[in-house]
Amino acid sequence: MTTEVLREKTGRYLRGESVPSEKRQIQTWLSCTKDKMEFIPAKEKEKIQTEIVADIHAYITYSEFNPEPKPWWRKFTAAF
Amino acid sequence: MMSRNFTPEQDLIDKLSVGDGPALEELSRRYGYSLYSYCMAKLNSPEDARRIVRNIFISLWENRDRLPENFSLSVHLYTEVRKSIVQCVNNKLKTSTNIQSIEKQVIPGFSVRELQKAKEFVHTGSEQKSKYYISAVKNRDYEDQWWNKYFIPAINLKGLKHGLKSMLNMW
Repeated sequence: MTTEVLREKTGRYLRGESVPSEKRQIQTWLSCTKDKMEFIPAKEKEKIQTEIVADIHAYITYSEFNPEPKPWWRKFTAAF
Repeated sequence: MMSRNFTPEQDLIDKLSVGDGPALEELSRRYGYSLYSYCMAKLNSPEDARRIVRNIFISLWENRDRLPENFSLSVHLYTEVRKSIVQCVNNKLKTSTNIQSIEKQVIPGFSVRELQKAKEFVHTGSEQKSKYYISAVKNRDYEDQWWNKYFIPAINLKGLKHGLKSMLNMW
């Protein structure tokens, strides 16, 4: 498979226009994780996990201090 | 790695829906690394993996007040991470960034040989036992289907055998 073919296939998959065989091929690729999972030491894992949580914490804190103004229709629907 | 917080997942989702930040942090602590390692296995790019995981949890936070009633977090994360990976590959190919890494890391995964690995039986350490289990399940399914097709589904085959046996004994 070439990069061009893969680009077209993934594009069609994301738009929901792919034929069943393409869909199956991409889904099988996504499901296949054998022999790929590398062994990572516990300390490294903890570091990655802490970084992810810190990123999310930073975003939550930021969004609490700088809340985005909600559009009128969202306020309206929230009332129901 | 085990999380020290033992709050049930549903409680965390309920808290999240009312805007509780620590609940989202706890969920990301529980599932973040699994999602990260999955993304790494597919894309082999730590930056992309981290960005995908972060965006999934951020979108969950952004849509916290619109979570459906029977919301399943695992299904949501599973769907989102798969979609994001395909999106990431597509974006890279569109913008022609790291084409070489995609040629080396992603495209070989689409070969017939690699794709067939997904269909292989998962070895659980007790292969013999699993084989017997599968054959037993197949037999049971066959019996059920055969029985349901021609007879009353409320009575099972075992019950019928037992009834016939006792009738023959009596006779």
